[in-house]
Amino acid sequence: MSTEIKRMRVARTVLILIGTAGLVFGLYVLFDTVRITRLPGVALWIGAAIVLHDAVLAPVVFFLGLLLRRAGHRATGTILVLVQGAIVVGSIMTLIVVPAIVAQGLSPNNPSILPLDYGRNLALFWAALALVTTVWAGLLYARSRRANQRPSSRQS
Amino acid sequence: MYEAQRALATPSRNPRMAVVIGRLLGVAFIVCFGTGVYSHFLQEPLPWMRFPTRPALLYQFSQGTHIVAGIACFPLLLAKLYIVFPELFASPPVKSFLHLLERASIALFVGASLVQITIGLLNTYQWYPWPFPFREVHYALGWVLVGLLVLHIGIKLPIITRFWSARHEAEREATDAAGATEAPGAADAEAARLEAVRLWGSRRPSGVTGRLLAWIDATPAAPTSVSRRGFLTAVGIAGAAVVGLTAGQTFAPLDALNVFGPRKKGVGQQGVPVNRTAQRAGVTASATAAGWALTLAAGGVERSFSRAELEAMPQTEVELPIACVEGWSQLAVWRGVRLRDLADLVDADPDASFRLTSLEQRGSFRRTQMGPEYVRDPLTLVALELNGETLDLQHGYPARMIAPGRPGVLQTKWLSRIEAITA
Repeated sequence: MSTEIKRMRVARTVLILIGTAGLVFGLYVLFDTVRITRLPGVALWIGAAIVLHDAVLAPVVFFLGLLLRRAGHRATGTILVLVQGAIVVGSIMTLIVVPAIVAQGLSPNNPSILPLDYGRNLALFWAALALVTTVWAGLLYARSRRANQRPSSRQS
Repeated sequence: MYEAQRALATPSRNPRMAVVIGRLLGVAFIVCFGTGVYSHFLQEPLPWMRFPTRPALLYQFSQGTHIVAGIACFPLLLAKLYIVFPELFASPPVKSFLHLLERASIALFVGASLVQITIGLLNTYQWYPWPFPFREVHYALGWVLVGLLVLHIGIKLPIITRFWSARHEAEREATDAAGATEAPGAADAEAARLEAVRLWGSRRPSGVTGRLLAWIDATPAAPTSVSRRGFLTAVGIAGAAVVGLTAGQTFAPLDALNVFGPRKKGVGQQGVPVNRTAQRAGVTASATAAGWALTLAAGGVERSFSRAELEAMPQTEVELPIACVEGWSQLAVWRGVRLRDLADLVDADPDASFRLTSLEQRGSFRRTQMGPEYVRDPLTLVALELNGETLDLQHGYPARMIAPGRPGVLQTKWLSRIEAITA
């Protein structure tokens, strides 16, 4: 056991040293290649990313989850989770595609950049997602009803 | 703080899940880092560096992978942050100086990761709403992040090894199932909460449970095993969707599914997408001028060739992709004069690197370097035709470089001068 603890300590020390070296090299490259007047902008963006995630995105996700669980308290757990999953998938896709729509609005410098109709495609994506989720939920519902009609083996 | 942690506890927020998603995210980060460093050194080689010219699709593959892995980081990183979010409210917030450093490193890790994937994505849209240079910062943050990743693995190694295999997970499922016979929902939820508190480290309750927390407590809990499976499935489907619906911009078999990629195969002059236009490069007049000639220089020898003279030389046809650092690529048929034939006409040293100069007035790739491995490659052309037609002005008329395995920015358009660099 003690050799295991020892090995763990060695492995951790090595990883922490290598990691710190990489971090320091990265910071060196940053200071070496980026003008000093631009560095506060980098720090600002990193700080803003933390605040945006921890103080905005995460709480919004948390309360949306609560609201959904309240609204769907009569649905079976599986269907609720299915709907949650669909919202997650759609939201992540939206997160990636909306900047493309914005960038397209800023008139890219040639027509081969962002050539597709991203707004329409995103709407179609949500529609397809809703359709698949509905069908899937319907199947789950039918299955749970069939299961409920049989005498339960779990509860007396 | 404890109450906040408790309120945030859900079945999918557990160390095993953190390890499962963390592993995938770690792999994606390493892939992005490796392909990114390769791309960096192709563009800014150290003097001794030589690169493979085969397979000719190498850069298309490596940079396409860079972008695909980067996009996959969105669902993975958000999932990872979701899992560990309750840790933000650890109490006491700081236990020791080392603990402070650990938390600071995680804060930087989170912030830098989010910035890195965001600016990477927006760069593929050619949208730059930040107050710093993209290329330099993206490269430096790559090193910062890979360092922080290794550091993070070192710090969390005990948890990682403990939850690496699913064995522990199976044991917990068994415990949950045993406790769930009476009132499945509530027991599951309570077990999950206690489990989460126990695994993340138990903290004494402190402070008052406010109305908010009461409201939260009154909310029905998510069913344990379904919600864990559902979480993984959702992350998996989101990953497949963001990758599958964009990767067609570089991987041809997925072209039909490319509905969100910033580029589309076949869209652009002569069926090839364009990055820098002639107007932007300021070459519309100089590239169409009647007196245009390509100058080749080596040692003391210097010769100029008009387009007609180049056309009169032996022509070679090659099929090579334009592969952009932004992750898109397009295979095309090019026709022109082999660079090594031109190099021989001015008696260039076979081991010499070449400097290529464009008609562009400014821009970081106006002048680029090419190592001898590319200069001497039979596929490297001074191209005059693209897909059976005279090269379009947007694709570099009167003549451009095309070489195997090189980033698009180095496939110099509107060539003006090619000279051997004497070491």
